[in-house]
Amino acid sequence: MLELRPLTTAAPLSNAALVRRLIGLAWRYRLHCLRVLAIQLVLLTMGIGGLSLTGVGIDYIRHKIEFPASVVPIDADAPVMSRLHRLLPGEWPYWQALGLLAGLILLFAICRAFLNYSYTVSVNRLVQQRLVVDLRGEVYEKLQRLSFRFFDANTTSSIITRVTSDVQSVRMFVDQVLIQSVIMVISLTVYVVYMVNLSPSLTVACLATTPLLWVLSAWHTRRTQPEYARNRTLVEAMVQTFVESIQGIAVTKAFGREAEDRAKFDAANNAVLAQQHLIFWRVSLFSPAVGFLTRINMMVLLGYGGWLVIQGQLPLGAGLVVFVGLLEQFSGQVNNVATIVNSVQQSLIGARRVFEIHDAPVEVKSAPDAVRRPKLQGDVHFDHVSFAYVGAEAVVRDINLTVKPGECVAILGATGSGKSVLMSLVPRFFDPTAGRVMIDGIDVRQLDLDDLRRNIGLVFQESFLFSNTIAANIAFGHPGATREQIEKAARIAAAHDFIMALPEGYETILGESGNSLSGGQRQRLALARAVLLEPAILLLDDPTAAIDSETEHGIFEALDRAMAGRTTFIVAHRLSTLRRADFIIVLERGRIVQRGTHEELMREPGPYLHVANLQLIDGRELQALAPQEGGS
Amino acid sequence: MRTGPNPRDWQEASAVKTGAQTTGRSGLATTQIADASSGAESRGNKMPSALFAASDVGLVRRLRDDEDEAVQKPLEWSLIRRMFTYAAPVERKLTALSVLSVVRSAQLPALVWIATLIIKGPISQAHVTGLWLGVLGYAALAVTTDGLFHFRQRYALEIGEAVVNGLRADLFAKVQRQPMSFFQRTKLGRIIGRVTSDVEALRVGIQDVLFVSAVQAGQMLFAAIVMAFSDWAMFLVVLGLAPILWVLNRHFRVRLSHYSRAASDSFSRITATLAESVNGIRVTQGFVRQETNAGLFRHLLADHSRYSIALARTSAILTPLLELNSQFFVAILLMFGGWRVFHGEMGVGDLITFFLLANQFFSPIAVIGNQYNQALVAMAGAERVFRMIDAKPDWEDAPDAVALPDPRLSATGARPGPDGMRVEFHGVSFGYDPERIVLHDVSFVAEPGQTVALVGHTGSGKSSIINLASKFYLPTAGELLIDGHEIRTISGQSLHRQMGVVQQQNFLFSGTVLDNIRVAKPEATEDEVRQAASKLDCLDILEALPHGLHTEVGERGSSLSVGQRQLVCFTRSLLADPRLVILDEATSSIDAMTEARLQKALLKLLRGRTSFVVAHRLSTIRHADLVLLLEQGRIIERGTHAELLALGGHYAVLYRQFVQVDEAG
Repeated sequence: MLELRPLTTAAPLSNAALVRRLIGLAWRYRLHCLRVLAIQLVLLTMGIGGLSLTGVGIDYIRHKIEFPASVVPIDADAPVMSRLHRLLPGEWPYWQALGLLAGLILLFAICRAFLNYSYTVSVNRLVQQRLVVDLRGEVYEKLQRLSFRFFDANTTSSIITRVTSDVQSVRMFVDQVLIQSVIMVISLTVYVVYMVNLSPSLTVACLATTPLLWVLSAWHTRRTQPEYARNRTLVEAMVQTFVESIQGIAVTKAFGREAEDRAKFDAANNAVLAQQHLIFWRVSLFSPAVGFLTRINMMVLLGYGGWLVIQGQLPLGAGLVVFVGLLEQFSGQVNNVATIVNSVQQSLIGARRVFEIHDAPVEVKSAPDAVRRPKLQGDVHFDHVSFAYVGAEAVVRDINLTVKPGECVAILGATGSGKSVLMSLVPRFFDPTAGRVMIDGIDVRQLDLDDLRRNIGLVFQESFLFSNTIAANIAFGHPGATREQIEKAARIAAAHDFIMALPEGYETILGESGNSLSGGQRQRLALARAVLLEPAILLLDDPTAAIDSETEHGIFEALDRAMAGRTTFIVAHRLSTLRRADFIIVLERGRIVQRGTHEELMREPGPYLHVANLQLIDGRELQALAPQEGGS
Repeated sequence: MRTGPNPRDWQEASAVKTGAQTTGRSGLATTQIADASSGAESRGNKMPSALFAASDVGLVRRLRDDEDEAVQKPLEWSLIRRMFTYAAPVERKLTALSVLSVVRSAQLPALVWIATLIIKGPISQAHVTGLWLGVLGYAALAVTTDGLFHFRQRYALEIGEAVVNGLRADLFAKVQRQPMSFFQRTKLGRIIGRVTSDVEALRVGIQDVLFVSAVQAGQMLFAAIVMAFSDWAMFLVVLGLAPILWVLNRHFRVRLSHYSRAASDSFSRITATLAESVNGIRVTQGFVRQETNAGLFRHLLADHSRYSIALARTSAILTPLLELNSQFFVAILLMFGGWRVFHGEMGVGDLITFFLLANQFFSPIAVIGNQYNQALVAMAGAERVFRMIDAKPDWEDAPDAVALPDPRLSATGARPGPDGMRVEFHGVSFGYDPERIVLHDVSFVAEPGQTVALVGHTGSGKSSIINLASKFYLPTAGELLIDGHEIRTISGQSLHRQMGVVQQQNFLFSGTVLDNIRVAKPEATEDEVRQAASKLDCLDILEALPHGLHTEVGERGSSLSVGQRQLVCFTRSLLADPRLVILDEATSSIDAMTEARLQKALLKLLRGRTSFVVAHRLSTIRHADLVLLLEQGRIIERGTHAELLALGGHYAVLYRQFVQVDEAG
């Protein structure tokens, strides 16, 4: 179940196209990005400034010690930068000069602290307040309009991941990739120019290892990336196994298969362990190697740089010490390359998954010149309707059916005969592949989609209730409903009494998927939710399937009240329900094989009679035993 | 000023990060959901209440749990010791790692020290041979430092994983051993939280906190000694700054963990809403709620972003403050150090030593502060994990419980065909909560091969009888005999192996239809599975699925219809060739056409086996050898269907009412 079935509708995007779209995304926030970049540039300049000042300070002290009286430059041929400390007036007492330097360093530091603060804050403003919020909002909004096929083809956790971590990956492209690469290119250039200015030969010697570092990082990333991906899959599988083991514990215990189940989990758990070892080895080879490379730099710096100092070609403070600092910042930026490369990969993967949702076509939407009908009569007509999922055999074939306003049609059929699909063509959860569905004489595709659906009340086989109060669940389709309206709906659905019996009444918060209620109670809430809208059409998809028989008895009255005056489609199996219908259709492999009233169908041989007979045995026996209670 | 030591810091940090990465990345949705449910439950924070307003308008509202989940816990020695017992399989690595940590804590500052020695010695004094010798020494130390770092890092990661692996296996085994009552009262999210986020917090505690702190502390100590020897007066200045750093760091860490808690709380509201939006998409579209939901979701996003910004703002103050502090030190060094140098109390070389070593002394303060925080989080995780491992089961199989003998496997040779189990209830009383008895003094005997139908209203005790017979719960009083053995004296598993249960709603594991059927008998071949399905007359239905028996059933069997799921469960039970069959409203969710077919097959299936049936289909009850009518936990009428009807008591009334629904409408 971890495999992701690709969406059939959206063609896979090429990397180039992805990058183009991501840059387009960044362009939307260009002003913000520019501000962040500007702050970073000032920071860079100040960092180098602070470093130079420190070097100058060291040189000044050293100079004063070694040549206490002299104001005259001794080594006139020394590089330009080293003379900086001589800019300080020689006649100044040392404490005045040092005080100036120290003051400057502090001033720089304070400015830097302030700028660093605003940098972090503005990056986060950009990311957390704008980018992520906008992206998530857009994805969610789109998600809600996608057809059910999308939700059938993707697991809940995969969809959640798209809105949560994949969106984070996408925004990474803006703040981690784009902004960081610009910063990196600029600062590397500045560092190199500065270092070359100090000593070209030392720069070359120190940076010799850099390409090696790049190659090493790239190689490491390429090798370990798939391992990390595999690791994620294995960990997900392990957690999934655990979760299912707990969810299915009753099954496992009932068959006495605890040992097998434990073995299954241990295998998943150990698979993670075994696979991790490889990653650990790789990582533990890579990071010491990188560490060693930076230390080689230090060696070169100490050896060659030290020699240069001894030769008098480089000042100690403004030269060597500053160089140490620069080199460190430089390698920090170099390490950034690996991070950026990583981020690129990650954000491309995430972007593909996010854009998949963005690009998924909304299969069902209102026509541009849709007919507005806030209140429908409920005259439903199927005209040679067929439906097939893309690339599959037809599930509904050539259906002709007319249901007049207020009529009730019951649908009988075996599992997979197309009952649910037939019903979902009415609210346009799917559009027919051939023929048309008309309501009040208008093709449903011409109707405004929201109007259409607001005129239809739905109760599913297993009704989904939200973790919210009972009142909020009943008012789901009309959040502004008054308490009177809610209670009225609940009374129709025979739910009012049990709701009032709960300690919190209508304010009771339901647990996850409403599992604190019995099946019958949940269905009654679902029914209340459907009738609150006063719909002209009611679609009941086997509403009593998940209810125990005795509760079912109670729900019939509720159904009767709910159906009164509404065009109703009901999938049903029990004669008791079937008989209530104005007429019945029997479906087999997507076709109507029988239609008529209960009495008519009882008179003709066919599947209906077969089902009815099975259920009537009980009744006849009762008649035989207790004739005074005779049935019809 | 930042010099030499930092690349090493980065490495030390990277050891931490890689570990966290391998696991942190695994923060898949399930984990997040698990976090979500535990996150939303507790509110230990002191955020302004106005900020929480958004939680009232959500699509989703949750009840807070009374069991508060602490984020942090003070260090507790017994917990730490216990955590390390899980490292027993890798004990030698643990010892090696301890030694390596001590060695490394000296190596890191030593490298910096050598560098300063070279600068103030050979370089300042223009001594070329000394320079080469110094660099050579540096190189030698560098090679050993990085060489050993390989082991230091790998061992830490491996120990962390070994501990996590052991803990998970232990957790699983201990949780699985719990009786059903445990799963009734413990939320799934809570259990998952233990095995994901809590165990991960423990990993960090094991692989990082102790060793990273040790390395850092050692580094501090070493740097302190060198500095004190170089110039004690300057060292006092350094020492004076340390507490400021520590206090600053602690203060902000506390605030940071506050905000991150609030942020993860608000994030858990996002994931919870998302999950329900996805699961309830049919309702949403059917009731045209897309726009309302999107608006609510944006509210939640804005709410979350507010906390994230607050979090970022706090850390945006901390980092520059720490840096400011080190710059402050440089300024002092220049002034005070310069003054001492001019008065000849200190050499220029020592000044450079201080420049380079001061960072070795300061940077561990922040790192240790952070590790301390991690340690507290790990403690809280450890406490919860161990509490779950230690949770005493309400009951367990008696230590001397024996396997229930299977007569079909007796020495006299395997007897073909089904063979029923004898189940006797003698004065059995039972309550899920011993204070509230739901079953009173129930006595009856199900002879081998008999079908017992249980009839009664919801809550009359039907499920309790089934739960007792299948040893999911133990009777509070009375005697329950299986084939003449008191149920307490036989092992639950041996009983379950001879039993088949089909309930109204059954759980399917993700995997194929075939996998799910084989749960009952993992060694069964595909042919055996097919045979079982065709005995039930439903093979053609299963084969009509897109990939036949190899169709993936999806999350919780979601790609099958309710009826199809039920058929899988029937086949699964038959495959186990059970001696006791329990059907709890098993056919009520199957459509009438399929049920008609299945009904005949079921009669065949039950023949020869003992069975307990809770059914809505009266034809099933009609065939029962014994009908028990239950009311409020007592058997009020018993006999065959015909007898009970003739009796004209409660059963007859109930039955008529029932049939009237079918018949009269």
